[in-house]
Amino acid sequence: MLLKRVVALEGEWVEFRDGKLLINTKELDEPYLHYPCNWNLSPRHVEVNCVYVAGDNRNMPMEDHYFGQTPIRRIMGVPLW
Amino acid sequence: MVKVRSFIIALVVMGIGIWAFIYFSQSEEKKVRKRLGLLSEWASKAQSETPLTMAQKTKKIGTLFAENCGLRVPIYSISGNFTRDEIISYAARGRLLFSELYLRFYDLTVSFPEEGTAKVSSTARLTGKLNVGENVDEIHELECVLKKIEKGWFFSYLEVVEVLKK
Repeated sequence: MLLKRVVALEGEWVEFRDGKLLINTKELDEPYLHYPCNWNLSPRHVEVNCVYVAGDNRNMPMEDHYFGQTPIRRIMGVPLW
Repeated sequence: MVKVRSFIIALVVMGIGIWAFIYFSQSEEKKVRKRLGLLSEWASKAQSETPLTMAQKTKKIGTLFAENCGLRVPIYSISGNFTRDEIISYAARGRLLFSELYLRFYDLTVSFPEEGTAKVSSTARLTGKLNVGENVDEIHELECVLKKIEKGWFFSYLEVVEVLKK
């Protein structure tokens, strides 16, 4: 089981530019990030019935981090804090 | 009295039917689970594995698959239908990359959508060490279809589900 943050919903565009997360081309305020990030990922569209998730620790190379689009049916719950 | 007797006989017959259904479906499930156990055993590789053991295990892996099997492993860009020999070849080449390799299945669920077909969902964990010294610890969701051919269960489709798509 993976613990990830939902950062974008279906129909939205997701992009990483110099470590900043852009949703529909606007930078998302992410006060929960505590480590530097330098990821770059071209814009992608979140498909129907899917969400886009990413972890809060993004100080590793992008290739080593599990993140991306996943169907909503895979979400099992939310953390209790 | 005759009615009561008929009712009891009907109950007994029904009971036997239910018992037989549960017994045989459980026994088929056990057989299917055993196939995954064998795949885990034969895919795994100890550091001390000799070339002979390696050849034997690779050949044995082939015996678990149907003559034609669909494979879909997006992370390694594998997709299509493969013969048993091709699967043996893939398995051999894959195992050669590792000095040590362990494949374990967790959270196995087995269902029988139709007669002679078993669908298995599981979490597969691949751990080990590459020949170049790098440690590997991968967890993937796996969907398999096994077909019953002459009393044996054989993998006819295997897919590594891409849970997160970048």
